[in-house]
Amino acid sequence: MRVATDIGGTFTDLIYIDNEGNMGFDKAHSTPPNFENGIIDVIDKSGISFESIDMFFHGSTVVINTLTERKGAKVGLITTKGIRDVLEIARGNRPDLYNFKYEKPKPFVERYLRKEVEERMDYKGEVLQPLNKQDVIDIVDYFKQEKVEAIAVCLLHAYKNPIHEQEVVRIVQAIWPGIPVSASSEITKEWREYERTNTAVLNSYVKPILNTYINNLSNRLSDHHYDGIKYIMQSNGGVTTFESAKDYPINLVESGPVAGIYGAAVLGEMIGESNIIAFDIGGTTAKCSLINNGEVRVTTDYYIERSEKGAGYPIKAPVVDIVEIGNGGGSIAWIDELGSLKVGPQSAGSNPGPVCYGQGGEQPTTTDANLLVGRLSEKNFDYQVNKQPVNNAIKEVVADKFTTTTEEAALGIIEMANSNMLNALKLISVRKGYNPSEFTMIAFGGGGPMHAAELARNLGMKKVIVPFSASVFSAWGMLMTDIRHDYIQTYLQKLNRIEFNEINNLWNKMEQEALEQYTEENIQNERVIFNKFVDLRYEGQEHTVKVPITNDAWDANFIKNLKNKFHELHEQSYTFILPDAEVEIVNLHLTGFGQVEKHKLRKLEETGATLEETTLEYRNVYFRDQGWVEIPIHSRNLLDPSHVVMGPAIIEESTSSTLILDNQKAEIDAFGNIIIEIEVEKVYEQ
Amino acid sequence: MNNNSPFVNEVIKDSLLSIGDEMFAALARTSMSPIIYEVLDYACGLTDAQGNLVSQGNGVTSFIGMLSPMVKSVIADHKDDLYEGDIIIINDPYTGGGSHLSDVGLVMPIFSDGKIVAFSANKGHWTEVGGKDPGSFTNDATEIYQEGIQLPGVKLFEKGKLNKAVEKIISTNVRLPKLSIGDMWAQVAALRTGAKRFVELCNSYGSDTVTDVIDNLIKSSETYALKELALLPRGSFEAEDFIEGDPKKGGPYNIKVKVTITDDEFICDYRGSHPQVTNPVNCSYYGLVASVRVMFLAILRPKFNITEGLFKPLRIITDKQSIVSAERPAPVSMNFEARLGGAELIWKALAPSLPDRLSAGHLLSVCSVTLSGVHPDTNDDFLIVEPSVGGWGAGDNHDGQGGQFCMGDGETYNVPIEVAEIKYGVRVKEYSFRDDSSGAGEFIGGKGVVRSYEILSDKQHLSASYGRFSFKPWGMNGGNDGASSLIKVYRKDGEIVGPFGVSTRMELNKGDVAQLVTPSGGGYGDPKLRDKGKVKLDVKNEFFSEEEAEKLFDVRLNDD
Repeated sequence: MRVATDIGGTFTDLIYIDNEGNMGFDKAHSTPPNFENGIIDVIDKSGISFESIDMFFHGSTVVINTLTERKGAKVGLITTKGIRDVLEIARGNRPDLYNFKYEKPKPFVERYLRKEVEERMDYKGEVLQPLNKQDVIDIVDYFKQEKVEAIAVCLLHAYKNPIHEQEVVRIVQAIWPGIPVSASSEITKEWREYERTNTAVLNSYVKPILNTYINNLSNRLSDHHYDGIKYIMQSNGGVTTFESAKDYPINLVESGPVAGIYGAAVLGEMIGESNIIAFDIGGTTAKCSLINNGEVRVTTDYYIERSEKGAGYPIKAPVVDIVEIGNGGGSIAWIDELGSLKVGPQSAGSNPGPVCYGQGGEQPTTTDANLLVGRLSEKNFDYQVNKQPVNNAIKEVVADKFTTTTEEAALGIIEMANSNMLNALKLISVRKGYNPSEFTMIAFGGGGPMHAAELARNLGMKKVIVPFSASVFSAWGMLMTDIRHDYIQTYLQKLNRIEFNEINNLWNKMEQEALEQYTEENIQNERVIFNKFVDLRYEGQEHTVKVPITNDAWDANFIKNLKNKFHELHEQSYTFILPDAEVEIVNLHLTGFGQVEKHKLRKLEETGATLEETTLEYRNVYFRDQGWVEIPIHSRNLLDPSHVVMGPAIIEESTSSTLILDNQKAEIDAFGNIIIEIEVEKVYEQ
Repeated sequence: MNNNSPFVNEVIKDSLLSIGDEMFAALARTSMSPIIYEVLDYACGLTDAQGNLVSQGNGVTSFIGMLSPMVKSVIADHKDDLYEGDIIIINDPYTGGGSHLSDVGLVMPIFSDGKIVAFSANKGHWTEVGGKDPGSFTNDATEIYQEGIQLPGVKLFEKGKLNKAVEKIISTNVRLPKLSIGDMWAQVAALRTGAKRFVELCNSYGSDTVTDVIDNLIKSSETYALKELALLPRGSFEAEDFIEGDPKKGGPYNIKVKVTITDDEFICDYRGSHPQVTNPVNCSYYGLVASVRVMFLAILRPKFNITEGLFKPLRIITDKQSIVSAERPAPVSMNFEARLGGAELIWKALAPSLPDRLSAGHLLSVCSVTLSGVHPDTNDDFLIVEPSVGGWGAGDNHDGQGGQFCMGDGETYNVPIEVAEIKYGVRVKEYSFRDDSSGAGEFIGGKGVVRSYEILSDKQHLSASYGRFSFKPWGMNGGNDGASSLIKVYRKDGEIVGPFGVSTRMELNKGDVAQLVTPSGGGYGDPKLRDKGKVKLDVKNEFFSEEEAEKLFDVRLNDD
């Protein structure tokens, strides 16, 4: 049996699939700060035995929480002479343009713990000045006195030649065994010293905490006699072993959320959909990602705490390209200084939660609005729901301000939330040159199924899939992942100056290093598949376009095809090409997949119920322009593949509700996924 | 959602905002010039059919005040001669939206049902627009004719068709035509994206609904501006300062302002400032307007989308042909000196009365650096055009921030050392906070920065304009002044040139080191009141020495 557990702020999700392909899932409350207890709880609750587990998959927010709560280690930084302040100068930008009392992000290492060594590489990776070893020894002594708990190393041009960084690490380990130390070049081989320094620093910052966490979790599993294979989810959409996660914990920064995106790609492959918009609405945020031709996009252009108000902190780790906005079920509706209705990014969270929870929440949320218009059932909450306070809150905060009815105001809240989410969905599709009508939406998370049909219709999409286990879909995605590693090497070269030998050797070297890593993780080489990309741009541009390439050796013909492909993708994304401009490579990107054997999905057992028998009730639901309409509410558990549900209707299950609108039709496929067909209203041009 | 919803306005407003953002992102991703994609020295936006600002994506602050006057001047110029598919190109500094020739603007009318419903516009800093010096910054220009090609608002596209003559004139007159024409195309693509999105919006909701929403949006931000104005102290506030300039040409130049705040007006009267000079530090009236708008926003601090309505209470008065209202043919390539100097005067005048909104003096200067030469490995020509980071002032309960770009910049990024060393013929020896004892206060000023370029090939040329060289960023409410800027060149043979603040095409050769030092910000409040723990950390962090801790802050480190 394979088991995946995914820890969120409120719930710890579990999903399993046994050797016959039977699936089940469960949820238990998360148990901060000792999250491993919640994992044991949810396994116990689900009734599966530890002995029956063959493979254990895990997604965790421990890294991102350590960062945002500033609970990491005291880090000392070793860097090249002359640049210790790079970490604090950062890039000098001020996103909050008109705030003349702007506060820039405070570096994770104070100045007195940023120390310089004599050494220097040039940009070609040639040593200009050898490393002064005594400097390192003196710094380590100083760090000991200052009770530093982890060390980061970032030297200039180490992405090109890491030998000085490696030497510093060796010296540190020799004279201070056991101190966690990370060098920038171990994590990223991309240029830009601030971004690399920050990445190394944050890796060291979370390392001791993540190590303790993984050790505790391993021990707890051992206590329950589980000593099998243990994988943890990385931000790049693949898993890695517990052991390698300990070295590069920063690769886990988006551990949980990306699994759902990857799951959407896998589900798509199973049911023959390769163009997908994956859409996930949770309690506080909505996330979306575009999967083109089955390919989950991975980027290293990732920041934490970046917003219109602050520059944030860059992390050069491969992360699935997700757009995330502060709009979830718990997002609060409010009126801004100009009297406009806004929803989010402030969230009521799980405590006090939406007004309808009756736990002291007073500000109306999207969930409250969905309840008020009848889209959500008061019977389908964990809590004893009282509608009156919800009515009052929406009336006071919104309806009275706009002199309209409470129902209209509630619908307004939903429409504003949808508008925010629509902008995010456009950002990943229309604005990148993709036509949404050629994509299928896979909607999941607690709130995804509730909003999907309306958003898909607005985008001109034809089909929405609400997967079986939609509310724990991220955990399902983990069960389906491979052991993935991304190797990105900055290699600045004009295409017409490429030496074929050199580049073919470089690719071979990257593959060899990758295979060595897989060998360390006990994955046989024949199970490793490589995908390759190059980041290209017109000479002089800054931003690059990621172009997938074949595994063939490079020659003149290869370059010609590559150029054409680049022009094509550039035009798709940016509406024009520059046929005469030179094209240059910035990065080589190798992705390795160590394939994990997967179980086949099992077909759903039919219940044999009639459509009428699947109807739980007829309920009044409020619609724009129609007012209150009585519509059927179906039970998802009773629906069979033979059933056709015509909108307007709602399909309910205990953890989520799927809304189907006018002129839409829903069916259940053999695996229990809801497939909604949408009448197309408009089509976006590029 | 359809038009019956009372919330349709909200959705349209959101869409307008995101159009500005989308245009902005599209331009950065396709530009070929570091000044655009790293420094983000450009802006994209939408105006209504009359040229009033509706939404804007900005990289640097000053452009917020340039797009709408630029569109208005295009409307005035072309009146009934605008057709679908037209794009007008303009960089005239002396007319609406003008700054200097390097900032090239593009304006496109947006049509719905055969009539103009809006304009999309953008303006970007091109690395090269010709003129007597590479990079088109000319410290010693005496007339605009030396500063580059002038584009007086002509049609680059007519009904969707490129006017090849205009393109050819441009590419012939600039030194790096690939860059400049590449950026032009990036700007065109962004304009078209904006126009397409706007038309989509009109198709969804009807153009009347959309334009109604826009009118309301502008009106409600005017209401907000008046409400905020009511919270400011009434009366008149004065300040004086200097714009740095060649002493041989009469520099430094005195500038002054009297700010008068009434119930419905915020009047900035610059009369009495120095007459225009034959130094390119002048700005035109429209340049001044752009920067004063920025200052006004910093005082109002709106938390929502900025539209024309916010600027309604602003009134700006100048003499004719002064250093802050220069006319043709006065040179203006370094116009940010007068623009920012003029705007910061308002800051200086009001800060003591508005400590909750404004801090002590900051670096003020863009601290621009232009370095040209030949790359020693590739033999390719290279050209650095970059602003520099420096220190900001401290404020009430707020230590000044170190290593930030000045008020005129914004979402501006410095060039990483590793990128600079590949592209340019230099090695960066040092990039660190400066070691001065300036800016002491209860809250301390932010540090300026030292950036040292070792020169790797012969015959490189350095032009730099570092303001706040003779005058320091000012301290506030008892805080000490910050530190002034300086540039020094350490010749290979041991000679030291400088310190100086301005250089023009100074020749540098292999082995020379140019050390560029930016100003540190002013302090706030009596240093003796600074928290002891903070002073100790300042010393540990080597921002102040033990002796300075005792002398300036009255803190002895050893008495615990």
